[in-house]
Amino acid sequence: MKNLQADVVVIGTGPSGLAACVEASEAGLKVIAFEKQNVSGGAANMGMGPLGIGTRQQQDQMVDIDVERAFKMFMEYTHWRVDANMVKKYFETSKETIEWLEDLGVEFAGAYKYFPKSEATWHIVAVNGGIGRNGGAIMNKAMLTRAQENGVEVMYETPAKEILRDEEGKICGVNAVAKDGEEIHVDCKAVIVGTGGAGDSPEYMKERMGYTYGEDLFNIVIPGLKGEGIKMAIAAGAATTEMTVEKIYILPASDFGVQSVPAVFMQPNLMVNQLGKRFINEEEMQNTTFTGNAIQIQKGAIGYSILDQKIVNGYKKKGLDVVNFVHHVSNIDDFEQACIDIVNDPANPDVVMADSIEELAEKLGIDPEVLEETIDEYNDMCDSEDTLFYKPSKFMKPISKAPFYAGKFRPSGYGTLGGIKINENAQVIDTNWEVIPGFFACGTDTCTIYGDSYMFLLPGNTMGYCVNTGRFAGQGAAEYCEDLED
Amino acid sequence: MAEVKLTIDGRQIVADSSKTVLEAALDNGIYIPHLCHHEDLNHNGGCRLCVVKQEGVDGVITSCSTKVQEGMVINTKDELADKVRKLSCDFMFKTHPHECTGCPKYGKCQLASISQYVGDTGRHLRDFQIRAPKDESNPLMLHEMYRCILCGRCVRACGELRGVGALKFAKVDGRMRVVVNGESLSKAECRFCGACVEVCPTGSIRDKIGVFREDIPREQALVPCTAECPAHIDIPAYIRAIEQGEYSKAVGIIREKVPFPHALGLVCNNRCENNCKHKHLNDPLSIRNLKRFAAENDKEQIWKDEYLKVAPRTGKKVAVIGGGAGGMTAGYYLNRKGHDVTIFESKKIPGGHMTSGMPEYRIPTEAVLEEIKVIEDAGVKILCNTHIDNAAELRKEYDAVLVAIGTSVGKKLNYLNKDNLPEVYSALDILQAQRLGYDIKLGDSICIIGGGNVAFDIAGTLIRMGKKTVNVVCLEKNASQATPSERDASLEEGSILYDSHSNEAILGENGHVTGLQVHKINSFYFHPETRALVEDPIPDSTYVIPCDSIVFAAGQATGLTDAFGLELNRFGYPIDPATGKSELTTSVEGVFACGDVIRGPEFLIDAIADGRKVASLMDQYLGGDGEIDNTLVERNPSPYIGAIKDFGEFTREEMAVRPAAERKLDFAPESSGFTCDQGHCESGRCLQCDLRLQISKQKFWNDYVNTEEADA
Repeated sequence: MKNLQADVVVIGTGPSGLAACVEASEAGLKVIAFEKQNVSGGAANMGMGPLGIGTRQQQDQMVDIDVERAFKMFMEYTHWRVDANMVKKYFETSKETIEWLEDLGVEFAGAYKYFPKSEATWHIVAVNGGIGRNGGAIMNKAMLTRAQENGVEVMYETPAKEILRDEEGKICGVNAVAKDGEEIHVDCKAVIVGTGGAGDSPEYMKERMGYTYGEDLFNIVIPGLKGEGIKMAIAAGAATTEMTVEKIYILPASDFGVQSVPAVFMQPNLMVNQLGKRFINEEEMQNTTFTGNAIQIQKGAIGYSILDQKIVNGYKKKGLDVVNFVHHVSNIDDFEQACIDIVNDPANPDVVMADSIEELAEKLGIDPEVLEETIDEYNDMCDSEDTLFYKPSKFMKPISKAPFYAGKFRPSGYGTLGGIKINENAQVIDTNWEVIPGFFACGTDTCTIYGDSYMFLLPGNTMGYCVNTGRFAGQGAAEYCEDLED
Repeated sequence: MAEVKLTIDGRQIVADSSKTVLEAALDNGIYIPHLCHHEDLNHNGGCRLCVVKQEGVDGVITSCSTKVQEGMVINTKDELADKVRKLSCDFMFKTHPHECTGCPKYGKCQLASISQYVGDTGRHLRDFQIRAPKDESNPLMLHEMYRCILCGRCVRACGELRGVGALKFAKVDGRMRVVVNGESLSKAECRFCGACVEVCPTGSIRDKIGVFREDIPREQALVPCTAECPAHIDIPAYIRAIEQGEYSKAVGIIREKVPFPHALGLVCNNRCENNCKHKHLNDPLSIRNLKRFAAENDKEQIWKDEYLKVAPRTGKKVAVIGGGAGGMTAGYYLNRKGHDVTIFESKKIPGGHMTSGMPEYRIPTEAVLEEIKVIEDAGVKILCNTHIDNAAELRKEYDAVLVAIGTSVGKKLNYLNKDNLPEVYSALDILQAQRLGYDIKLGDSICIIGGGNVAFDIAGTLIRMGKKTVNVVCLEKNASQATPSERDASLEEGSILYDSHSNEAILGENGHVTGLQVHKINSFYFHPETRALVEDPIPDSTYVIPCDSIVFAAGQATGLTDAFGLELNRFGYPIDPATGKSELTTSVEGVFACGDVIRGPEFLIDAIADGRKVASLMDQYLGGDGEIDNTLVERNPSPYIGAIKDFGEFTREEMAVRPAAERKLDFAPESSGFTCDQGHCESGRCLQCDLRLQISKQKFWNDYVNTEEADA
């Protein structure tokens, strides 16, 4: 048993925990942070950058978005089901947070959209001078470096286990266990939880949201996100919130393989359900949240993206119709071979190929007559217009030339949202709506501002929320500790 | 070794002349990115990440292969070095998947951490991914070589460190890859030690999910046998000693944690075997039988001198009530810590269940008394035939008291009429009578009520006592509560099973048992709240099994009442009022408890593990440090294990058991244990999971904190 002393204990060192570490340590507090992984950054190490509104980058790029417009759009989108004070404070602070990150040495490549219909709120962190992957990791490095310079002690492979409150109900300590099994106890005045949700816990997602892993939800695997922060906070008296999944749609076994496969199937091709009917304006496939939602409610939670060889040839020749930063393959020359490999892999049911529509339908378990009828109607509309769901004509391409390809999309998610109830100052609230003294939480463990579905129209939202609420928590903990001194 | 002075990033550093620039920097908390370098392996300088600028030298140097020199001036944050590192990083991402999503190594990946530090994630070069399919053919380790960046650490670990060489570089389809050096890992003479996994910086070679527990700290989880053992015996170390023919050394290692190696070798319920990594290849190691083998071949007792050493006397007096495994274990450690220990045993010999609660043919009295003798030799005083009525009273005479009386009263089911019939016994009545030589009035035809292992232990004992008809009557179909092998061995010896049977009444005439009235059932369960039996009987199936004696194998109790001076729960177990639960502490200050008396009937190893815990706690109570671990045997296992042909296919050895017709005639052990060949073969199957802990841990840039300011 090791006994330590600190002013503030931070649990989890993703972007929210790191932002909290920096803010609390800048105020001169002694901070100890527990991280169960070997590295800091959490899921954000594979992200690209946070949201900002009204920033210098946007001014430079003549991007027309301000806090008022974003706020109104957001509240309209969420039907005012979410904490308006939090949304307002977060958006208002987001500009300053971008500058704060720049002061820590983070360079931004600019403000970008995620997909054509979204707004340019995504402040992508420059990777080696330009846009690259995993800019989030570089942002996190900057925060961690500053935190360590300020004397924050991050204990790796050391999960926190319990948050302690004294007889008056104030936060008084945290227990953790090191990788060799040694128990660690820290006496502290404030604790900040930011553990990133439960995206790696099928059990907890089942318990909280009713999803059955492998049936109606697939592959949310960000190792280590077991919902421990949420459980610890609830055990320490925090009120809980509704939890949701930040929905996307994927080819469960092929999303991480040859990149041309998901990229091609995610184009605005024909999409049908298990009954052989269309159910979405496929133009929306660029919005992974909406498409994930639409697939979720189909029979078996399945959506088949169907295309023929002619469409594939077209993509090869002229490039893909829709690209985004995540699926941005430089070429798709290996698409056919990759599909054949998948078809020949008995463990991978994601892709089906056939020489006729009838054969395709049979392989997909769809009534061939219905599928043929759907495709006939679709092909007819390709000559005129999509009178069913109004997909733009440029995306309407007939399905006629064998071989035919189908990609089996299932609902998945980037992770979970929500779990710990906080106010707009990142203070944890108990079930009587009272603030628990010294208790703060931030990041996705607390993020309920999107309501039922992730707000994709303002990209960078999740990371933005994390960094901003992390700062609120760090600043709040600093003020709280100062008040205790007085 | 000479020391040299050099400057790194403006800091004056003193380093041993044998060190490389990289080592000198890392030793001082100055991080230089490195990937192909590993502390335990020879450098190969291939990854070019550790390049630094040396003043006065053109270009950059690789710090992992350059030795420190007097007066050297090194700059790790040089512009050219940064450029080279970025390019090197770019090259790695040329083949490595760019998307971390879905990679189980995420959060522990050195490549991701390095790319974060270097600030490049491969955006300049065109992808040229390796189309190596995932290889899940081995049950322990997973190969996803499309994630491989060819650092070669696995190849070097397997070759240089282990001397195995199951992995190698080879050209496949014109491109260099790491491949298995044979048809399969097994054919490549792999020892399944996991060194390749331990050194892999990416997710290319990983432990399969499910091989190691994820709910306990990693360093514990990596050695599953030791983690599962309640006393955490260093199992791989003693198996290694057995393999080397050093049986006494093996016993010494076991004795570092438990004072009853032989008893455990005979009757432990071997949870250590449950998660043995070898079970994924074929069967787990036969750990319990190896323990017995070591104990029975320990001629030298090399551990003994050290084992009998005791600390200077503290003058504190401790009373232990109950001379079973838990009390004896605690007594040994408390005596070793310098306290004067007296053990009060109510029966005529000590040993508790080991000498009177289990059949003689499973655990001979003589073997137990030999191990208890060692505890006496160490200075523990044992008073037999001494019953203690009140623990609180005893506390007045002693500085601390330990209640370790176990559960030594056999339960008889209340709903069956039995009071006026003399030939109705509990399982413990039979075992105690047989083992301690008490008189007991038994007929020739006996019904045992109960279907767990104890029921079959009683059956075996009665058969060996020469009883003609031994019936086991139980609710469970196929006596499913019992271990199948124990059940079958008993049936082979001639016991008769009446399964799916419910009892109605014990019948008697003229004051003697005449039969057991039963009926058949389809199924049953115990009500989750009331614990009452709820059964689905087969109509009109009532009949009588004729017999002249009844034995209940229906559980055990503490037999304690309030007269014992401790607060008890409604089942007669002592509780600590502070928590309301049965704990190592009780309602009386300075009176402690351990073993079955707080846990209910459990296994020998649980009582011993409890004895260790309570000894530590009591030592602290008495003013000691509570540190009871002792090292009896020095060990220095060689990491160089070498290749062995068909190693992965060696099958589990089983002890030869005497035939039923022979063994049922006497109380001698059912088996004489492993032969020497068997002991050697079985210990040679061990995968030596503990060797993995010797390998230097993978570190990350965030682990290095350069606390000292650069000299101005």
